[in-house]
Amino acid sequence: MAYVATRGGERAIKQSERLFRAAMGKIDAARVTEVKQALPYLVDRVMGEASLYDLDLAALALAQTGGELYEAVLLLRAWRTTQPRLCVAEPVQQQDLFTHRRISAAFKDIPGGQVLGPTPDYAHRILATDVLEGTPFVPEPVEPGAKPSPAYQPSVSAWQAKNDLVDLPKPESLHGNDIPDLTREPLLFPSKRAHTLQSLARAETGGVLALGYAAMRGYGQAHPTVNELRLAEAEVVVKHPNGTAFSAGRVKISQAEVVSKQGEKLGLGFAATMGWNEVKCISAATLDLNSKGAPKGTPTEEEFFLYHTEGVESSGFCIHFKLPHYVTFQSSLDAMRDAKAKSVDVAKEPVK
Amino acid sequence: MLNTPVQGVDEAAANKTFEALLWALSRPGLASNLSAASDEAIIDALIDRECRVYSADPQLMSNILCSGATVSEVKDADHVFLGALRDLASLDDISKGSALYPNEGATVVLRVALNKGRKIRLSGPGVKTVLDIQIAGLPDGFWQNRAEMFCYPAGFDLFLRDGRQVIGIPRSTIVEVL
Amino acid sequence: MSLKSLTKPWQSMSYGFLDPSAKRELRRKMLKSVAVPGCQMPYASREVPMARGWGTGALQVSLTLLNPQMCVKVIDQGADDSVNAASIRRFLARVSGAPTTLDTLEAHLIQSRHRIPEEFLREDQILVLQVPNPEPLRSVQPNMSIARQMHADADYGRMWLQLYEQIVRSGRIMQGASYPSMVNGRHVMTPSPIPRWDVPKLNMSKHLTILSAGREKRIFAVPPYTRVEPLVFDDVPYQVEDHGALTCKRSGAKGFFMNEIPQDDGTSAFEVSDSEYGVKSIRQRDGEAVNLGGTWYKHGEMPK
Repeated sequence: MAYVATRGGERAIKQSERLFRAAMGKIDAARVTEVKQALPYLVDRVMGEASLYDLDLAALALAQTGGELYEAVLLLRAWRTTQPRLCVAEPVQQQDLFTHRRISAAFKDIPGGQVLGPTPDYAHRILATDVLEGTPFVPEPVEPGAKPSPAYQPSVSAWQAKNDLVDLPKPESLHGNDIPDLTREPLLFPSKRAHTLQSLARAETGGVLALGYAAMRGYGQAHPTVNELRLAEAEVVVKHPNGTAFSAGRVKISQAEVVSKQGEKLGLGFAATMGWNEVKCISAATLDLNSKGAPKGTPTEEEFFLYHTEGVESSGFCIHFKLPHYVTFQSSLDAMRDAKAKSVDVAKEPVK
Repeated sequence: MLNTPVQGVDEAAANKTFEALLWALSRPGLASNLSAASDEAIIDALIDRECRVYSADPQLMSNILCSGATVSEVKDADHVFLGALRDLASLDDISKGSALYPNEGATVVLRVALNKGRKIRLSGPGVKTVLDIQIAGLPDGFWQNRAEMFCYPAGFDLFLRDGRQVIGIPRSTIVEVL
Repeated sequence: MSLKSLTKPWQSMSYGFLDPSAKRELRRKMLKSVAVPGCQMPYASREVPMARGWGTGALQVSLTLLNPQMCVKVIDQGADDSVNAASIRRFLARVSGAPTTLDTLEAHLIQSRHRIPEEFLREDQILVLQVPNPEPLRSVQPNMSIARQMHADADYGRMWLQLYEQIVRSGRIMQGASYPSMVNGRHVMTPSPIPRWDVPKLNMSKHLTILSAGREKRIFAVPPYTRVEPLVFDDVPYQVEDHGALTCKRSGAKGFFMNEIPQDDGTSAFEVSDSEYGVKSIRQRDGEAVNLGGTWYKHGEMPK
């Protein structure tokens, strides 16, 4: 009797992958285009969590994984990590963002105005079942306003700072290569500010929401007011080695500022991510707001929420429990049996 | 779907040099062979834009700059190339990390002559019992100075190169001058 | 300087999958981990085409070390034919062209999850262990920052206390795999979830062991000829799994770590966990000329 040949294992993994892929069928450029056009918010979410801004690659990742989000993000990150780094873009200032949507819950009106922009917030969530009956759902055309909203606007916190209501964080004077990069160095605590914001930008949306929600419900000290929520496009400005600065294109970004009363001033929490993802930004900013002085081991402590909202790591660890663990199990079994035998021996001893 | 990528000349050299460095540091005092008889081989295998490098040897500068590394003062450098060491003072500022961050202890590369000169006795991890070796080209008092500066696990790690040959002396090695 | 001079010719994939920059970082961190045996060194840990927790840390180490001449063996729970081992072996070979083997004696590089082979490893071999949780203090201190400080202070009192409490409650130390061990008399490390049976194989061994946790982004090492001592009390000796007297029902090999296979009649049968050692034992029994290497355990006991 021989051991199972290695080929058995290799055949099994090959066939199980084929079974998985069979459900998606052929993937071609048209499929990728369809995903990109039909699911922009999903594509955005995946790009944010993968920290790779490329609509085609993100749509391809979604097509290739059949929408298994954790797999799609991993696929993109594994591709991203092997790419050469040519240069570091210039910092983006808030007032230079091409703004599509910008709202504040803190004031009725704000300098620059409330700009609703694209949102389903006030839509009635009624499933368009007619589509299944053969009546296509055709969105009504947008009617442009008489006067367009200004495309470039300052942040609300800038006004508050002028009125001595909030202390803005001192902008770090680091440039280019000197900015700490989470993808090139490990996260250590206390975390560098850049690492915290990068980590939140890459975090898994559901995870950030869960912990942010815990903070909102009372497992944090600060109740957030949405100072400003913004959906925008940012210009990616890079420098050619000969010194000329030029725009390499625009990327969609979202950002949130949340505030709460802290003594006589407002405490400020901030988060931003690539792509348009409001839930993630508000949750992440709430965690940021609550992290200062948070007790160790609570959901609002930086180490706690940054580690546990890392989607690639948490999902990978979760599914790794499917791997065989019979060696470790055997080792525990041995200790348990021995301990049991020992306790039986003790019980047998005559009482003195 | 996937063709096996070919190992290029640069990659092969860096791979071989690292294999030599890892082998040497794992077996303090025993020599192994780099891909070339130069500090540049070590730079190509280890250094890139993530690093801060100090070099006392101006000839290494073009390689260091090409790697994208930041050229820095000794105290901020994670990799220190001192060439042939003339005086002990240059060791004082080398980063030794701390008990909390032993990873911040620098990697130091020196040029020496192996198998001649002062006899020293090595012990510690990587050495089965003790190992006696000879190294020339280090200033007097070097090993005593090293012992006084270190508070394990803080310290720096040495690569001593003679032509293609390199030996490693990690901070965990106890060195006794015979 | 032009953009072109900053880039290399386009390749669909770097040799060994990882790009040169990722490899250089791993090289630097591997050197540091060897320099301070048993001390966890943080590293960036790039994503690789496998899920976190499936050996991505060890995979990055293997990918950095591999070259077309290096013969590689991959095992999971002692078995070469486990699906994950097969998958990793196939990936390593695909991206590096390295030859693969199942025989411990032929391998230069062994990537393993949760076992150390039963045959002696030599000076020219490197063992890379997959590590799910690199922090031995996690069970007494889940906060990484505080645990780091405890390592800095060599403050292992709570670790000892935990072991002592187990003896008081259960009459023995209940730690199964991942037995905390003191390295070079300074740093307590987890040897990864290898059984207690395998921990003594790390002590003063001839080979280099690198332990890498990809998800947790920590790498540590046990150089050759380094003391690795399981934490024990002077009057309560270290106890490996009670497998010394068991016999493999397939190969007849005796005195090695076994897999327990529950039987229909309520009893258990045993198979040697090091699958290729089992295969070689069967071949030898059947009269083939097989090269069986010397083993750490002799007649089910580790000689002092």
